[in-house]
Amino acid sequence: MVSKRFVFKRLLMLFPVLFGVATVVFAILHLSPGDPAVVIAGDRASQEFVNQVRSDLGLDDPLWQQYVRFLGEVATFDFGQSYQVNRGAAVSQILADRLPITIELALLGQFAGLLFGLPLGILSAVKQDTWTDHLTRIGALSGISVPIYWSGPLLILLFAQFLGLLPTSGRIGSEYFVEPVTGLILVDTLLAGNVAAFQSAVVHLLLPVVVLGIYQMALLSRMMRSSMVEVIRQDYMRTARAKGQGSKITVMKHGLRNAFIPVITVVGIQFGSLLGGAVLTETVFEINGIGTLLVDAINRSDYPVVQGTVLVFAVLYTLVNLGVDLTYSVLDPRIEQ
Amino acid sequence: MCPDTTGTSRRSFLQRAGGATVATASVASLAGCGGDGGDGGGGGDGGDGSDGGDGNSGDDTTSLRYGRGAHSSTLDPQNTTSGEVAKVTNQAYEGLIAFQPGEASLVESLATDWSLDGDSVTLTLREGVSFHDGSEFTADDFIATYRRFVDDDYEYHFADSSVYGPFTLGNWIDSIEAPGDYELSITLTQTYAPFLRNLAMFAAVVISQDAIEGDTNLGEEMVGTGPFQLETLDDANNRIRLTTFDDYWGEAPNVDRVLFLTRGQNSTRAQALVEEELDIIDGLDPDSMQIVDGSDTAETRTATGINIGYMAFNLSRVEAFRDRRVRRAISYAIDTQAIVENIYSGIATQADQPIPPALFGHNDDISPYEYDPEQAQSLLDEAGYGDGFSFSLTTFQNPRGYNPAPLPTAQTIRSNLAEVGIEVSIDDRQFSDYLTYTSQGSHDATLAGWYTDNADPDNFCYVLLHPQTDVPEGQDWVSWDTEGFNTSNNAAWANSEYMSVVEEAQRTTNQEDRAELYQEAAQIAHDEAPWVFLDYADEVRGVSNSVNNYSVAAIGGPFLEQVELE
Repeated sequence: MVSKRFVFKRLLMLFPVLFGVATVVFAILHLSPGDPAVVIAGDRASQEFVNQVRSDLGLDDPLWQQYVRFLGEVATFDFGQSYQVNRGAAVSQILADRLPITIELALLGQFAGLLFGLPLGILSAVKQDTWTDHLTRIGALSGISVPIYWSGPLLILLFAQFLGLLPTSGRIGSEYFVEPVTGLILVDTLLAGNVAAFQSAVVHLLLPVVVLGIYQMALLSRMMRSSMVEVIRQDYMRTARAKGQGSKITVMKHGLRNAFIPVITVVGIQFGSLLGGAVLTETVFEINGIGTLLVDAINRSDYPVVQGTVLVFAVLYTLVNLGVDLTYSVLDPRIEQ
Repeated sequence: MCPDTTGTSRRSFLQRAGGATVATASVASLAGCGGDGGDGGGGGDGGDGSDGGDGNSGDDTTSLRYGRGAHSSTLDPQNTTSGEVAKVTNQAYEGLIAFQPGEASLVESLATDWSLDGDSVTLTLREGVSFHDGSEFTADDFIATYRRFVDDDYEYHFADSSVYGPFTLGNWIDSIEAPGDYELSITLTQTYAPFLRNLAMFAAVVISQDAIEGDTNLGEEMVGTGPFQLETLDDANNRIRLTTFDDYWGEAPNVDRVLFLTRGQNSTRAQALVEEELDIIDGLDPDSMQIVDGSDTAETRTATGINIGYMAFNLSRVEAFRDRRVRRAISYAIDTQAIVENIYSGIATQADQPIPPALFGHNDDISPYEYDPEQAQSLLDEAGYGDGFSFSLTTFQNPRGYNPAPLPTAQTIRSNLAEVGIEVSIDDRQFSDYLTYTSQGSHDATLAGWYTDNADPDNFCYVLLHPQTDVPEGQDWVSWDTEGFNTSNNAAWANSEYMSVVEEAQRTTNQEDRAELYQEAAQIAHDEAPWVFLDYADEVRGVSNSVNNYSVAAIGGPFLEQVELE
């Protein structure tokens, strides 16, 4: 069992991490060119109007005051109101609306990666140095080497524009409007009992999930293979076989659990990169998660939204890593020590 | 809109491959259309191209799908300067006066009659008009709308009002009274001829007083009198659904619903139109125009835009630019014809004055500076800059309507000017940075442009080239840090003759007399060349063959209530 102390200690570490991220993002935003007051006021505004906007937003206060105010906001998870992206709306509300979109995409990408990556890796290890193994390894290498900003447009070109089989963008057909309950489109369409909308969402999410999943699949299958190959050579595996157990049972019962430990690490770390990958995927497929939100906010000098989004990314990343550590200790209790 | 049967058949390939669930979608979709699959459009969106899928199965509503490049950042017309927002709010709100669809002339809207006499404006309002919240429209609604926008003393004043508050109303209105429920009497701060046009702008639309003084969140709700009302604001999927307003005072729209859908990439948007996933799209560049024109399902339509793209010399910063011979020399040295024809691919025309051709006051006798490097060199020699000089040209990076290719434009200018010994360094910036930089007057010269707000020449001549502050005698420029300087005049040009003509035009209410004054102002601006006049860009839309009665509008609109779908 995982001790509460361990979890508590890890959760405490969130605070210095968030403080560091908040400070860095604040510094970067304020060092970057572009005055939000000018952008908000627009090119019709007089200097007087711009000054008024700047003053209203507190952007003419000394930087340290803005920083202290910002830290106070971070502490209360109140990131203020959006300047531009969704004018006047609370950033926390915008994030609450957009975060499920990214999480759904990342989870589906992870699921696709696991679904195909693990069996392929195991197959490759068991059939080591056969044609199956070679093909899987070549596929995995290619999958790792292809960046999302290349595979995404290429798949759109092929399946959406050339073959016309799948939609090019979005996550549901334009005519389906489903009341958001969880924010996860697949869940919400099912909750609404709207099967046609659910099917539309599935079709729309197929390409983005494949694009996100390819890299995951490739990486996991490589990781699973090498981990499995190592485990298969262990003495206890030989002993199990010597005791008369079939090779399948040996692999599944004794091998898998031990081979999983390094794979779980990768899954955890990769979930973080999936969130990063979601930024690219969302941009390519015009899905409105926190990835596109961040890009949009940066382009429009929407400081509160940038700050809120980056901090949410940091929290997610940290929590996922905590989850990974907890999973280790379940698989191998020695690790907690 | 029901899916095209051929469109569905392509989908059916996937459905067969993807299994029974997706196949059911097709059945549900077709069922929603009552089996009539030949209704144009809708076929290309992943097996779900009908209106039947949203739970309206069995109904035969028509939805017009308008595709654009960006989602609305708000639904409050008083909280934005964005044309993207106006496209939606113009469907739900109406002003006292409106623009004639496809033209720049004014027509009745919530006011049936008006007059402008000196500094006094009187309007007779339309009776029997309801807001979407059921309240009746009266003069008090306009007063509440006005006060929300600009009056700090009003309890319901909107603190985040956009610059259009002072720019279009606040700076010009001294007082407003309502002698009766359907009469408005406005006193202006001075005789200001463009005022009626300001009342037709999207930002001056009338909001229900009940909504203003109630707890309605006008950033997410629209309570106007327009032909469409808000049904769903779906920020998570960047789309907005409007439905017809049954109690609309005018002619009912020809479609039941309007969907505003966002496709950020121009090519994706064009492709969606071609594949009948969208009915009308805007924001087309030459490449996406090719996609549309190459299809047999849609076409491009253009209208002369009311805008201008230009390069402004910053007279406040660069001494050489204070000599009109240098400015004229540069105007001769830059091949604007090549820029418009080769870089803008024919979706723009060469500019020659600040007033676009679609507006009254445009001077037809003026023609563009011809590309003439020899003339340019001789003028430079005369001005004492025969050996050349150098300056930095600031530009935004991403295309904008009036300048579809800023970087290639800047590069052409650089190479053209190198031929006459002028060295140009290109300073390209992301738009927010560009706005900040140029509003501070840090540029030597800058690429810039303007879309009209109210289709009045004053909106170009006064807003962009008048310093709106005191000018030292005998000087035709002002220092950027002069108190009250109009930073939209990014040339810092201050020609007294021009200024007095433009001021007189503001005070002249007779249209013909005004037109003459603006023609005179345009001639001065052309001759003095505070800008290199680059282009007037066309308004281009992609329109599905199933769309009838849609006119491309350079001001106001889009007028979607008139559109019919086959």
